Amino acid sequence: MRAGPSQEEIRRHNLGALLRHVHLSGPTSRAELTSRMGLNRSTIMALTADLTAAGLVREELPRETGRAGRPSLVVRPESARVYVFALDVGVDRLVAARVGLGGAVLDRRETVRRRGPFSLEEVVGPLAAFARQMHRRTRPDTVCVGVAAAFSGGVAQSDGVVRFGPNMGSVDVPFGEEMARRLALGLPVTVGNDANLAAMAEHLRGVGVGCRDLVYLHGDVGVGGGVIAGGALLGGHQGFGGEVGHMVVNPQGRLCGCGSRGCLEAEVGERALLEAAGRFGSQVGREAVRAVVSAADRGDIVAQAALSRVGDWLGLGVANLVNVFNPEMVVFGGMLREVYLGSAAQVRSRLNLDALSPSREHLRLRTTALGDDATLVGAAELAFAQVLADPLEVLARAGS
Amino acid sequence: MTPVLELRGIDKSFGPVQVLHDVAFSVYPGEVTALVGDNGAGKSTLVKCVGGIHPIDSGEYLFEGKPVQVGSPRDAAGLGIEIVYQDLALCDNLDIVQNMFLGREHKRGIVLDEDTMEEMAARTLESLSVRTVKSIRQHVSSLSGGQRQTVAIAKAVLWNSKVVILDEPTAALGVAQTAQVLELVRRLADQGLAVVLISHNMNDVFAVSDRIAALYLGRMAAQVKTSDVTHAQVVELITSGRSGDLGLTNGVPA
Repeated sequence: MRAGPSQEEIRRHNLGALLRHVHLSGPTSRAELTSRMGLNRSTIMALTADLTAAGLVREELPRETGRAGRPSLVVRPESARVYVFALDVGVDRLVAARVGLGGAVLDRRETVRRRGPFSLEEVVGPLAAFARQMHRRTRPDTVCVGVAAAFSGGVAQSDGVVRFGPNMGSVDVPFGEEMARRLALGLPVTVGNDANLAAMAEHLRGVGVGCRDLVYLHGDVGVGGGVIAGGALLGGHQGFGGEVGHMVVNPQGRLCGCGSRGCLEAEVGERALLEAAGRFGSQVGREAVRAVVSAADRGDIVAQAALSRVGDWLGLGVANLVNVFNPEMVVFGGMLREVYLGSAAQVRSRLNLDALSPSREHLRLRTTALGDDATLVGAAELAFAQVLADPLEVLARAGS
Repeated sequence: MTPVLELRGIDKSFGPVQVLHDVAFSVYPGEVTALVGDNGAGKSTLVKCVGGIHPIDSGEYLFEGKPVQVGSPRDAAGLGIEIVYQDLALCDNLDIVQNMFLGREHKRGIVLDEDTMEEMAARTLESLSVRTVKSIRQHVSSLSGGQRQTVAIAKAVLWNSKVVILDEPTAALGVAQTAQVLELVRRLADQGLAVVLISHNMNDVFAVSDRIAALYLGRMAAQVKTSDVTHAQVVELITSGRSGDLGLTNGVPA
């Protein structure tokens, strides 16, 4: 039998918890940390002293108090000094950003990715160049503590290899390894599925803050998703979990890029909507989806029928998810934000017919609060994960 | 949950024409209640009764569970009820801050306290996550339709209001701006306000509402939870006053 955690482990845990708190909630007074973390004042003082000495946080007098008595010092994250690189590999775009502790985007570069056959070089090359440009512009006293990427495809948890990406045309790509080699920062590159990371981002910083059970649906060319259950992301055995886009809703339905038929993605993805609206081919991407919603709003009956059809399948998909996971909230992101707002009558009618009544009674349907940056914010959070787990150790390694 | 605003048995006539018959209407904190009905069903009259513009002929008006007398818009504002009408009532030749405090300016001595007003306006817009406005000292004439709507809504929540009533806030807006306004409506309720949304657009209603109240020829056909009805049922309630077990029987609520 294992003995209880050692003092060193408890201290590491508390340091991480305090740093996480300041990272997610922003500047917080010592008094508030004391009550939120349930530790006594001298412990909080010792922990902040350690984090301050390491250069992770800074203590300041609050700007205004308006109350009598000695003001409690405010602990703020060293956003300008400690940062990560967050990368986002979407079907239509490549983004790299330098994100400071606390979540502020300090610098950002973006380029368009052409749809077509996948080439590792065409993805890694521009991202590495962006990161180098941003790295050169940093002050010498700054320190990079992690790199992570959101990838539109199924990513194996164990090695960061992208196993499938039907909409990217990628199979078995050692993306993380190659990216780390090209960046040459001496840091590994953690890779996650884009929709999974976006789900985490909405849970930590978006519309789902404070909500421990949430299903996030992300529409890009395909449909991805992430399930947060009890505050943690459901990854499954190998990390491929949460592929809600490949839940079969219509066995006699449209062919899907994965080879199956009638997947949610095949029925509500960008192509399904554009084809139903008779607009496939001329225009693609978010603009094309907006054009359909806009046409429907102006009275175009073909566009209205297309949205209504897609909304019906989306409602069925959500009903299944609600019955299985009983989430407190379902969040629509990517192009599904537009699709949901443009076909909500259909989505909810189907949901109200097919979902179990107790599960839908307190269900909240929401659109993304982070917008198109949800995947990038998720990547940044993944990159921060290690330093939040063991602040001093990771910083010592990064600083050496 | 107690409704923050509750009307019971409201009657209202204009001369020989009875516009509202025995109307009940409840609004809850933290929720969006959609008020729907055909043209002439009595939505605007009901809202004007709530806002103190029209005195009610008979019926009970309860606020936070207590009976109150609302005889003027000032009474309604005093309770924390704000109404954003379709015309928005903004002055084009004034900037955002001036509009938000119009008629209720803060003063320091005999001069206007511009700093405090500017700070309060900025804080309100930020709390609503409004990022589309460049400067709060911009003239309203330079704003887009969606931004104007946003300013009008921000003006309504500036006064620690408890109930905000929005009359067709997305009419005449493009798709992108409609999405932003709908998200703002939802955020207001998620921050604890009671929001009433008047709309003809069923997608808007189903996208953000928690409850739907359907008026039919001056009577409240049904007040239902949005999670319990379908689009077809709501359309039936609007056009015929009943749908299956829901709605009016011989003109009387079930």
